[in-house]
Amino acid sequence: MPYKYEMKPLFRERLQKLMPDPVDFEKFEQIIHTGPRNFIRCNTIKISPSELLQRLQKKWNVVQPYPNHPEIMLITSDLAPGELGNSIEHLLGYYYIQEVSSMMSVLALDPKPGDLVLDLCASPGSKTTQIAAKMQNQGTLLANDLKMDRIMILSANLERCGVTNNIVTRNDAIALCSRFSKAGIRFDKILLDAPCSGEGTLRSSPKTFLMWNENFIKKLSNQQKKLLAFALKCLKKGGTLVYSTCTHAPEEDESVINFALERFPIKIETIKLPLKCREGITEWKDEQFSKDVQKSCRIYPQDNDSEGFFIAKLTLLEEIK
Amino acid sequence: MNIRFINQKEKKKMLDVLKEQFGIQELPYALVETGKEKIRAFSGSITEKQIKKISELANLEIVGIYLLKQERIGDLRLSFDATHLLKSQISKSIIEINEEQLNKWMHGNDLELNLPKGTYVISHESDFLGCGKSNGKILFNYVPKDRRLKSKL
Repeated sequence: MPYKYEMKPLFRERLQKLMPDPVDFEKFEQIIHTGPRNFIRCNTIKISPSELLQRLQKKWNVVQPYPNHPEIMLITSDLAPGELGNSIEHLLGYYYIQEVSSMMSVLALDPKPGDLVLDLCASPGSKTTQIAAKMQNQGTLLANDLKMDRIMILSANLERCGVTNNIVTRNDAIALCSRFSKAGIRFDKILLDAPCSGEGTLRSSPKTFLMWNENFIKKLSNQQKKLLAFALKCLKKGGTLVYSTCTHAPEEDESVINFALERFPIKIETIKLPLKCREGITEWKDEQFSKDVQKSCRIYPQDNDSEGFFIAKLTLLEEIK
Repeated sequence: MNIRFINQKEKKKMLDVLKEQFGIQELPYALVETGKEKIRAFSGSITEKQIKKISELANLEIVGIYLLKQERIGDLRLSFDATHLLKSQISKSIIEINEEQLNKWMHGNDLELNLPKGTYVISHESDFLGCGKSNGKILFNYVPKDRRLKSKL
């Protein structure tokens, strides 16, 4: 039976290059045509995972699939459209509806209470609120986004989740980093969850099948490299930057990391996550990447019954002037 | 965004009112006024001076969380989220509502309740659900629109 949306031929060709095993690719193709699972993240600023679980189990089947991360919960009941967002627990900010793969970049960043953290492309705030929860509302979290409509959504989510250690700015991320860098403002940790082509979100946004365009990927890749270069300038020596995207396109993933490794005093760290990760690739088309890029993490939908994601964790060895 | 940090003297005055109204003993936050008598609470570690520096470099939109509105002298209305934030301290002017009232309240409806005039914190079991204002017969609803239940009553 044909799928409602089909991959464009070039899109298929590229993905087959990334997943050369036909059985693996078939699993990928099957899963991307199914809807995403219903993951939520307990907002530990407001409620403990055990209390929330107890409450939610009165209305739904809820499991905690990752023993070391009790805040990650999966609703296995059949839900009506919008049901998760219209529960009293959601309205009170006891949980955030967030796909499990998108929780991984904050786990990699590992923010601590007392850190000075910058979330450069923050809206709608799933990762920002996750960072604040990890920081236990201590230290300072600066969340930035570009446009006022996105700031409004971010602000509403920060309020709902009870975040109090936040400062929200509305700026072009590159201009902001440039000014901060010149003014000597440096952060312990930076999350750069970069705007991307969204190839990993086919399950929740099937329109990506139609919108996919290779030229757009090339354009995004250039922007992402610039973003990362400027973000690194705002990092303290020894500080951590996590770069993530929700795309499989190597131009937006390994190529960006390789670009930074070649130009800046950074090292790439091994990441340990509760999801199955595949290592970063070392060549794509006519580009060869450093072997270190393998330490980045590719999350594929068929490995975890999740969306797709890419994460790399970088440490700054010398402050960039 | 125009922000003004509330000084210690002003903060003490506010705390005195909150103590009188709701039994709140402490506000372990920096307080910031952001217009329309709205006060926000910030728990971050950076100083007023550092925030001002950031505001010179960036378009500062928000600091901390919306805490309360100064309705008039001697009357402060805690925001929906502030009642949760300060729930362990709130000991006065609490109205415990039942399941049926909870449903009405979270749909944004006023409640018919005979109460002395004033501002009350609404609770249901362990949940704190913002403030309501009573005119003696009706408890007026202040649940923000985006925090109301959208299903039919």
